Amino acid sequence: MKRFLAAASAVIVGLLISPVAIVAHHSTADYETKLTTVSGTVTDYKLVNPHTQIFFDVKDDNGKVEKWVAETNSAVALYRTGWSKTTLKLGDKITATGNRAMNGATLMHLRTILLNGQELPMGRQ
Amino acid sequence: MRTYVGGAILTTVLVTLFAASPSLLGNAQRGTTRASSPAQTPDISGVWARNLGAGAQIPGRPPGADFLSDSRKPEPAMTSWAEAQYKANKAASGYADPVFNCFPPGVPRIYAVDFNGVMELVQIPGRVLQIFEFDHHVRQIYTDGRKHDEAQAATWMGDSIGRWEGDTLVVETTNFNDQTRLDRLGHPHSDALTLVERFHRPNKDLLTIDITITDPKAYSKPWGGQLFYAFRPDWKVTEFMCKDNQTFDDFREKTAK
Repeated sequence: MKRFLAAASAVIVGLLISPVAIVAHHSTADYETKLTTVSGTVTDYKLVNPHTQIFFDVKDDNGKVEKWVAETNSAVALYRTGWSKTTLKLGDKITATGNRAMNGATLMHLRTILLNGQELPMGRQ
Repeated sequence: MRTYVGGAILTTVLVTLFAASPSLLGNAQRGTTRASSPAQTPDISGVWARNLGAGAQIPGRPPGADFLSDSRKPEPAMTSWAEAQYKANKAASGYADPVFNCFPPGVPRIYAVDFNGVMELVQIPGRVLQIFEFDHHVRQIYTDGRKHDEAQAATWMGDSIGRWEGDTLVVETTNFNDQTRLDRLGHPHSDALTLVERFHRPNKDLLTIDITITDPKAYSKPWGGQLFYAFRPDWKVTEFMCKDNQTFDDFREKTAK
């Protein structure tokens, strides 16, 4: 079964992890360094600290739905980049690129996101 | 160096507002706070951010990590007690840092916890208030000429007394407990810590804090570094609660299966 609509190339850890890990409480150590891209439909969106969470359904080539979660920058950082509680809505079509959980869970640390084809500013964290 | 005085009107407005607030008048009403005139002191009030996000740099700030996070900087001269503590802190999980169990971070650790590192400085008669986005911590820096409170039990955030030296606010903080770390790297301190912070606004948009750590039980000589904050008049202090970290860990535990 093809799990990803697109899979991306490996990049070095140094490019992915900012020089200063801001909230070391939960590091990015248990995510893959390579990037994975999936597209799906938003089912829930929580603009929260320390990491915002986006829940979305991804259909594979056989029509089977996988439930994905993308966690990303803190609510304070995204708020100051222009995000709000209504930036994402149920049913929105997104394409998320990020580092997938090393254990294969359908969880990623989000790096970039397209909403209806348009990239949303993320800031850097 | 030019002292920024452009916010005098804002300061006056703030003073008027706070003067009308019984809760903030507090000690002044009981006559224990001798009001100094903020109009005569430099204006460092407003919202300041240590990290602007989106890759934006703070003009005047050297590149790279600051001294609270820079693992490549030379080590301070530690006593054997501090050396052992530091080694143990580095070997332990990051979770061992009390701040990640939501104890107060102490100072200067609070300058290296949350993402934007936002704080608001409020100048009122006899005091400078430092309102942090992280866990809504508030430091009260008394500038009314009082001495340190020797009777108070040891504290997480210390007892802070400030004075103006020209255009610099010099803050001495004592009476810390020994439960916090100084920085992200795990440098310890004892209850003999005396912290001196020098707040200076070289121009309208920049605040520097020069920090000197003196702790003879832990370090054979004083050490420290400089922090840089950008003025963000269009920002406000929102909230970044420590407990949310634990909620996130619960989320991760459930999700990463």
